[in-house]
Amino acid sequence: MAGKDCIAIACDLRLGMQSVGVSSNFEKIFEYDSVYLGLTGLATDVITLSEEFRMKHNMYKMREERRMEPDTFANLVSSSLYEKRFGPYFVGPIVAGLNSKTGKPFICGFDLIGAIDFAKDFIVAGTATDQLYGMCESLWEPDLEPEDLFETISQALLNAQDRDALSGWGAVVYIITKDKVVKRLLKTRQD
Amino acid sequence: MDILIGITTKDSVLIATSKSVARGVSVIKTNDDKTRELTDHSLLAFSGESGDTTNFAEYIQANIRLYGTRNGFEMSNKAIASFTRNELASALRSRKPYQVNILIGGYDVKKKKATLNWIDYLAANVELPYAAHGYAQYYVLSLLDRHHDPNMTQEQGLELLKDCIKELRLRMPIDFKGVQVKVVDEAGVRKLPEDF
Amino acid sequence: MEILEAQSTASSQPIEHRFNPYSDNGGTILGIAGEDYALIAGDTRHTTGYSINSRYEPKVFDVGDNLVVSANGFAADGNALVDAIKNRVEWYHHAHNKPLKVQSLARQIQHLLYRKRFFPYYVHTILAGLDDEGKGAIYSYDPVGSYEREQCRAGGAAASLIMPFLDNQVYFKNQFDPATQQYRVRSYLPIDDAIKIVRDAFSSATERHIHVGDGLEVLIVTKAGIEKRYFPLKRD
Repeated sequence: MAGKDCIAIACDLRLGMQSVGVSSNFEKIFEYDSVYLGLTGLATDVITLSEEFRMKHNMYKMREERRMEPDTFANLVSSSLYEKRFGPYFVGPIVAGLNSKTGKPFICGFDLIGAIDFAKDFIVAGTATDQLYGMCESLWEPDLEPEDLFETISQALLNAQDRDALSGWGAVVYIITKDKVVKRLLKTRQD
Repeated sequence: MDILIGITTKDSVLIATSKSVARGVSVIKTNDDKTRELTDHSLLAFSGESGDTTNFAEYIQANIRLYGTRNGFEMSNKAIASFTRNELASALRSRKPYQVNILIGGYDVKKKKATLNWIDYLAANVELPYAAHGYAQYYVLSLLDRHHDPNMTQEQGLELLKDCIKELRLRMPIDFKGVQVKVVDEAGVRKLPEDF
Repeated sequence: MEILEAQSTASSQPIEHRFNPYSDNGGTILGIAGEDYALIAGDTRHTTGYSINSRYEPKVFDVGDNLVVSANGFAADGNALVDAIKNRVEWYHHAHNKPLKVQSLARQIQHLLYRKRFFPYYVHTILAGLDDEGKGAIYSYDPVGSYEREQCRAGGAAASLIMPFLDNQVYFKNQFDPATQQYRVRSYLPIDDAIKIVRDAFSSATERHIHVGDGLEVLIVTKAGIEKRYFPLKRD
């Protein structure tokens, strides 16, 4: 979700095999310096891709001797996914970050083969997309301050995951501003 | 379906595996060992497609042992789990994937901490306080949710494991010929003589 | 021999045609009950697939005796059900010469739906009225008549978008105040707040769901009677 000079990204903590819950501590958001990647979908691909992007991001940093911008990272994600066009990774990625030069919020989402969806407001992914669209579309408004953005994204995620049997079991929210990143663990229903 | 259960306690990991091997309608072995020792403080338990299982487990075992002899120190449990996951993940998108589910129990002597890694045949790797594979999951996970405590002693852990096996004996439609229990702790890996 | 082979490879296999008695006409509905009112809101778009058949096809109906019903899903079944319900209300008057209570119609609807257990009305049904104490009542049904009295319920195409929003804004779910360490307690909504929530829910659903839009018609039941209100929605 984008706010006024800030962005927020959040995920639930459940890992399951169909109906049976396996882990209640499986984070789906990964940090690449100041760029944040959310990965939902097949757990093995979530791990594989997060590690692959860790490697590619580090290689970029060493070669270029500078940090990667969020839009650059988004293109990296897109091309990496399209490379596997006919044997794709089963994931729903989202990217969020602030541009280090302009300070402008950047958020985008992808389909499993890398088509980018640039958005000004919010991006959702996973098994509770319908519920999240309903929540975000009604709660979100432009230019939210960090604390208000936190409340908005948290309420959106919590109420959406409570209406999805495959989501929940805890939640994590990141609020990213120019000079501070706050990570909060939310107390949620455990059913 | 084979049974794999792992429980961490304050200072150890307990791993229980079913002793039966079945082919078609027949039980052909009743004292099977579905585990391999990777290092002095790391144990790998496996289930799944026969042939794939022992082949994969021994391949991992050989590589972890090789790493130990080459470098003069053993791989950490986190690294062992990552390595195993990686092998499974690259096999997943190859011509013939391994169909093996894995639990890795480890004890870190320096940090004095027990860890348990749950890895399925799709190569999803998670560190958990307690875990199970196969149909056993449906019976024991709820018991473990209710009674597990990360600070429990090894004795309490074994009592909990006994309760799990009791439940399986009661509810499982097929006889799995009991389980073999191995403990990983400060002293290393050892098999419990007791028959569960 | 050659001729026979040519025949069998071309198109000699029989093509199966099967009549499908159901279709989906989109749309979404929503009911909220208050202290002294109950309402059902529904969009007025009527679709099949990607086509819009009508931008104003009402699907929330006054069935008499200060009761409001909507059956959303397959429109033909919905209309047939509403007609059957209206019929039940009329015959109740002939038989008993008194108004039908909301809890009685609720049970009647269950029987109407379950009668067709093996060829169901393909609809999500919501009933609104006032109970014996004059309090608002919403009853919601699955296609075969399983039902429950609730304070709010969304049904139809965008139910999955609207329902979590209703949990949040009507049941105050997840509204926790860290200062007092207390969850917000559930209470009845004033009618004006309920209308605001309904309009927000539908404009959001219109934005993200292609089968929802054009117009919003709300039927509000109070002891004074049934009030009908219309609000335009986006037509794209």
